[in-house]
Amino acid sequence: MAGTTKTKPFFTRRRIVLFSVLLALIVLAVAMIATRPSQDALVGCISEELRESAGAKYSETYLNFGILNVARGRDIRSGSPETYLGAFGQIFDANDGAASAVANISLWMPSLIKGTGITISLTVVSVLVGVVLALFLALGKMSKILPIKWFCSGYIFFFRGTPLLMQLYFVYYGLPLISSALAINNRFMAAFIAFALNSGAYVAELIRAALQSIDKGQYEAAKSLGLSYAQTMGLVIVPQSIRRLIPPVANEFIMVIKDASLVSLIALTDLSRATQTIMNNTFSVLVYVPAIVLYLVITAVFTKIFNKLEQRYSVYQ
Amino acid sequence: MSLIRTESVYKSFGELEVLRGITTTVEQGEVVCIIGPSGAGKSTFLRSLNQLEEITSGKIFIDEQLFLHKENGVLVERISASEHKRLLLEMGMVFQSFNLFPHMTVMDNVITAPTRVKKVPRDEAVADAIEILRQVGLEDKHDAYPSKLSGGQMQRVAIARSLAMHPKIMLFDEPTSALDPELVGEVLSVMKKLAESGMTMLVVTHEMGFAREAADRVLFMCDGIIAEESEPNELFSNPKNPRTRQFLNSVL
Ligand SMILES: Nc1ncnc2c1ncn2[C@@H]1O[C@H](COP(=O)(O)OP(=O)(O)O)[C@@H](O)[C@H]1O
Ligand SMILES: [Mg+2]
Repeated sequence: MAGTTKTKPFFTRRRIVLFSVLLALIVLAVAMIATRPSQDALVGCISEELRESAGAKYSETYLNFGILNVARGRDIRSGSPETYLGAFGQIFDANDGAASAVANISLWMPSLIKGTGITISLTVVSVLVGVVLALFLALGKMSKILPIKWFCSGYIFFFRGTPLLMQLYFVYYGLPLISSALAINNRFMAAFIAFALNSGAYVAELIRAALQSIDKGQYEAAKSLGLSYAQTMGLVIVPQSIRRLIPPVANEFIMVIKDASLVSLIALTDLSRATQTIMNNTFSVLVYVPAIVLYLVITAVFTKIFNKLEQRYSVYQ
Repeated sequence: MSLIRTESVYKSFGELEVLRGITTTVEQGEVVCIIGPSGAGKSTFLRSLNQLEEITSGKIFIDEQLFLHKENGVLVERISASEHKRLLLEMGMVFQSFNLFPHMTVMDNVITAPTRVKKVPRDEAVADAIEILRQVGLEDKHDAYPSKLSGGQMQRVAIARSLAMHPKIMLFDEPTSALDPELVGEVLSVMKKLAESGMTMLVVTHEMGFAREAADRVLFMCDGIIAEESEPNELFSNPKNPRTRQFLNSVL
């Protein structure tokens, strides 16, 4: 982008607000960490009775997240904490409504965050690789060379016409049956391959629509100036298509974030499966609250990123 | 020396025969205007010359070399691929709808083809572009995107973009038809200056004033043939063909 951008003052009002919030959070975090109770205090929090029944294992029975500390008796029968410490060392009873919810959620957070990581990384790598694959598929489907055109059309037809779930099963369970050399033992790898192949087909149709929406006059002008086909696509057509592609690709992205829950069927733990596992173990519907919030946060962050991208590519409008 | 010569050029779109035997010549330094009713095949003829359309039959000579010869849709002879490319570059084309590259600045619009096709070093291309943009009166718009320009300015950028390839002949397909009336003049005056500088030009236009003033020769096209052809004064004041007379009465 060769446009001249006006230099804005660094301290805009939005940035001042943002910095203040950030500063307040840092101060709070420092205060929490500074007043953090010691390990002994945490252990002391657990009732005598439980400490004895848990025996030597009690050292595993507390969790310390730095900011929020939870002492949890390893009562296998209920699975829930009986006492815990608040952020500033306060001691709460496990039956305290809201506070206990916070403690429970903080207990679940690590596995939810891990699941979120899987969901995000699977989505990002699959869609990114899918977009590259899709560019070739789209150009191939528009190609005048018939075998290429047929292959790309067939590919797109196949992957759009069959359920992603079956494609995933096929990659993970089916391929090893054909030949053991094709076995993909890493679940994430298998999910990535299935998702990228599938995304490629969907995005190819988006790219084709975007390329075909470019005015015919652009091809003619490029041709009359002597640009080759590759130069015409690379310098004229594709750059103009990118902006038109951003909203539908953002949409595909958000679909894949949710489709990622299918990976639980090959026992890969994404955010959905992490949530379900906690739900099965604790019978607490409360776990849906952080899970939903996490999903919404991911979607919001990516929507924001795509909006920014769209703005960047709109400078010439 | 003729830059363009055609012999019995025919072109059909399926059943529809749009060009029905066009034989004409454009000499070096000549300005030829093509007038005629809409649907006469004027654009198709221009586009056939630089291969945006593939003719059905006939011969096209560029720069005295047989560029393309087809008979009834069958290729008889085509110049070698490298010569083909070189001769195509001798023709610049200006479209009715400008067809500027909207995602590039004015400068990038002008230098893209020289740097990418002719491999001119960027700084030379820029220096050349500055001079050409000055000629079309856009020296202060280098960094503007086309969307920020008026129609007249856009068409002048399109002319500059073609000129940057230093073609021997410029083809114009109704360059002012998409413009608001008050913007037509600035484009026509750039074209007149270009004509005066000795550029060979083949111009499809509805601007009879321009044809009368700038053209060395005017072709009247109608139903896929050149129905009449002569010097502008002769053609405008003393048309021989009744179709020409009828057309001129309707536009003048
Ligand atoms: N790509 C095309 N396919 C089919 N018919 C076309 C095409 N381009 C032009 N024509 C037809 O050819 C005839 C001549 O068109 P054109 O050369 O654009 O005329 P002019 O420029 O003189 O108005 C018109 O009837 C038009 O509909
Ligand atoms: Mg026309």
